[in-house]
Amino acid sequence: MEFTALFLAVTIVMLVAWFGRRSLALALFAVVLVASVATYLHHATDALKLSF
Amino acid sequence: MTRAFAITLNALSLYAVALVLAVAFAAQLVLRELPCPLCLLQRLQFTVLAIGPVLNVRFGPRPSHYALSLLAAVAGAAFSTRQVLLHILPGDAGYGTALFGYHYYTWALIGFAAAIVLLAAMLLFDRQFERDAAAEQTAPGAFATTAVWLVIALTALNVVSTLLECGFGACADNPVVYELLKR
Repeated sequence: MEFTALFLAVTIVMLVAWFGRRSLALALFAVVLVASVATYLHHATDALKLSF
Repeated sequence: MTRAFAITLNALSLYAVALVLAVAFAAQLVLRELPCPLCLLQRLQFTVLAIGPVLNVRFGPRPSHYALSLLAAVAGAAFSTRQVLLHILPGDAGYGTALFGYHYYTWALIGFAAAIVLLAAMLLFDRQFERDAAAEQTAPGAFATTAVWLVIALTALNVVSTLLECGFGACADNPVVYELLKR
């Protein structure tokens, strides 16, 4: 679900970048970047299930 | 480098991102291999990388737009490096099928590293940033507009794909079925 939300957010940022105000697109970009890094850190702190 | 040429190169970079997303989809559908959460994060970072070029096509080249893409590329490189390191020990078969000898996350790392170098190279050319009132009033051409919409469409397809794959809960570490298509 978190990835669906992230891809949806990027789609919205692209549409704002194309149709809307530049400043709003920059702000939304920052939100998406922070959210993607937070998602990465969430997964990076999971217990590893290594395949060997 | 003129402003018009820089916009053409930005449009080309959008086609390159579209190609990456299309190949990822092809592997997912043809080989029936579902992307893992880290794989999805790398795919996401390629779409975030495309926001800078979209802004460059729409508003004209600016250093801040290239900076956005640089930030996205550095994050993507960090994500893919982690996955490379997870499978680096001898005896580990890696995740998914290899393409031309490398797994997708290795190709992603190469792609993000190449993006960082190319973005830095683009920033070397100052003439593209000169303000041109006449050019700013001109709408982007069909080549660039098609590139923008192609990337937006492929990103929107990922919304549908991840919803089918993960459903309304957290995505599985090693997904083998589409959660919303399970019977």
